[in-house]
Amino acid sequence: MNSSTLSFAGKASTGHSHAPSKDPGVEPFSCDVCVVGAGAAGLSAAHAAAACGTSVVVLDAFPRPGGQYYMQPPAAPLASAKAMRQVTDGAALIAEAERAGARILPGREVWGVFPGGGQPERGTSAAAPSDAGGFTLHADGDGGAVRVTARAIVVATGAHDRVVPFPGWTLPGVMPPGAGQRLAKLSGTPPGRRTLIAGSGAFLLPVASSILKAGGEIAAIFEADNRVLAAAGIVARNPSIWGELARLARPLFRAEFEVHRGAVVVAALGDDRVRAARLAPLDTSGTPDLAQTFEIDDIDALLVGYGFRPHVELTDALGCTHDFDEAAGGWICRAAPDTFATTVAGVFAAGETTGIAGSRPALLSGRIAGLAAAESLGFGDTSGERRYLVERRRRPAAFAAALATHFTPPAGLAAAITNDTVMCRCEDVTAGEVRAALADGADDAFGAKLWSRAGMGLCQGRVCGFGLARLIAAERGIDPEEVGFNTPRLPLRPVKLSTMQAALKE
Amino acid sequence: MSAIVITVDGDRLPARAGMTVAAALIAADRPELRRSPRAGTPRGVHCGMGHCFECLVTIDGTPDRRACLVEVSDGMTVETSR
Ligand SMILES: Cc1cc2nc3c(=O)[nH]c(=O)nc-3n(C[C@H](O)[C@H](O)[C@H](O)COP(=O)(O)OP(=O)(O)OC[C@H]3O[C@@H](n4cnc5c(N)ncnc54)[C@H](O)[C@@H]3O)c2cc1C
Ligand code: FES
Repeated sequence: MNSSTLSFAGKASTGHSHAPSKDPGVEPFSCDVCVVGAGAAGLSAAHAAAACGTSVVVLDAFPRPGGQYYMQPPAAPLASAKAMRQVTDGAALIAEAERAGARILPGREVWGVFPGGGQPERGTSAAAPSDAGGFTLHADGDGGAVRVTARAIVVATGAHDRVVPFPGWTLPGVMPPGAGQRLAKLSGTPPGRRTLIAGSGAFLLPVASSILKAGGEIAAIFEADNRVLAAAGIVARNPSIWGELARLARPLFRAEFEVHRGAVVVAALGDDRVRAARLAPLDTSGTPDLAQTFEIDDIDALLVGYGFRPHVELTDALGCTHDFDEAAGGWICRAAPDTFATTVAGVFAAGETTGIAGSRPALLSGRIAGLAAAESLGFGDTSGERRYLVERRRRPAAFAAALATHFTPPAGLAAAITNDTVMCRCEDVTAGEVRAALADGADDAFGAKLWSRAGMGLCQGRVCGFGLARLIAAERGIDPEEVGFNTPRLPLRPVKLSTMQAALKE
Repeated sequence: MSAIVITVDGDRLPARAGMTVAAALIAADRPELRRSPRAGTPRGVHCGMGHCFECLVTIDGTPDRRACLVEVSDGMTVETSR
């Protein structure tokens, strides 16, 4: 790690990564490129930009860099994780980025970003493009509060599970698959003694495999999509992934649990925790047939998810344009294919933020964004290498896109949402209340939030946003795209008032 | 990972250094962490990655810490609000 490469935009390098702090508690940093997210995309962006000669600061919310795919187990690694290639590859990525001079600051969650010198304009809740140039980012966490001024930003904030509420989904033990994966891979703890996995997506299999490795039992896996043959066709056309699939599938066959298709979870059952799940087959329109339900009991963990949705809070707060692409995760940040520049000057986006595609395309888009960010600040011509990277990214990205169209959430899931189903977990808003708001005249995500408070809690709609859009679309007979999404408010994450005051002072 | 002991709601529980507080509680078969603000229904870990705020507990006296992000340490005190 070479912090002396950090210097402030347009000024001579001070030779130090940061000047003495005027606000005790908030450590200031200045750099050419600030990367948010230390996953596959962020780490490769940081490496590429730093190798071009820019000073780079990387902020990440988690206690350790690596993101989701390259998550790094704690200091004393798990026996089962030690041998895992993902862990060692991730460690190598981190080391390479640091060797190139990037300063990685984990345990720092970005809660605000502003154009220019860091002063939010009075009355505005989000940043907008500024002529002044540059940005100020604020982050806090166990790593300590920081304020980073940067000439360019790369947003590589990844994705999170795409969930649709169902009755009982708030019971302890009910989680999305990503939560089960993190418990098993990071902590070596299965989400329960006996886990039922359901939903859709190629991700369900690796989760099951991690749970087995962590010593858990799998009751069953239910994949909503029942077009097995078409999925097999995609696999057959992409021999490069056969090895990976075989590796993933091996522990599954060893355990001999069943992978069922064409049914979804319509309720979690239990008093103070989940003890059983009710499932229903999907009809040809993708609607659960509630007349033919069946139950699976003796479970204490239930993982249900329908793929991932990108984290677009930061790019949205920065004023970037977003497009709707359900297969790619819903609302995704628009980025130019050869630079991964967003529609806001100085802001680049990479990895899952620009559409769900998996780790390999994320690595490549991160590198393209890092090179383009450096080039935009006058650090050489990177167009030749970027052209080559765009070409290399084409196939894995096309594969991910083809696979994703298979795992879009079934169209009629909202049919299982009863009126007493909690939609917004933060504020305990039920589907009945949302339906009442719609009857009263609310007609989109914003209206539903104003009328019912759904999406107004601490999570700012990260959890319920997708399900809410599905419910509103189903009730109104419109496209989820027309429902829109709620623009995040600053702070993006709860932050102590004193920290916010100290950070914004000056 | 080395074995350590944490105290959860007054009970001493075994844990392994480096695991998250959320994992330690789940491993100890204590999935309920709090009650929801309005309906008072039991809640536990949801997203497992720091963005849903369902897993808020008091850790070493500091309230509203996310159990899914904080790693356990020997002698740590955790209070749930179940
Ligand atoms: C739980 C989970 C498990 C996954 N496991 C696999 C797997 O086993 N195999 C596979 O092929 N794919 C997996 N994926 C898909 C995964 O998204 C990609 O493979 C890959 O990790 C994408 O890289 P990325 O850099 O775009 O995002 P990520 O790796 O997700 O990295 C994003 C980073 O941004 C950080 N971040 C987000 N918001 C903020 C903020 N406001 N402030 C600071 N930091 C922030 C996060 O902490 C995170 O470290 C998983 C996804 C999830 C959500
Ligand atoms: S479980 Fe979602 S924040 Fe911890």
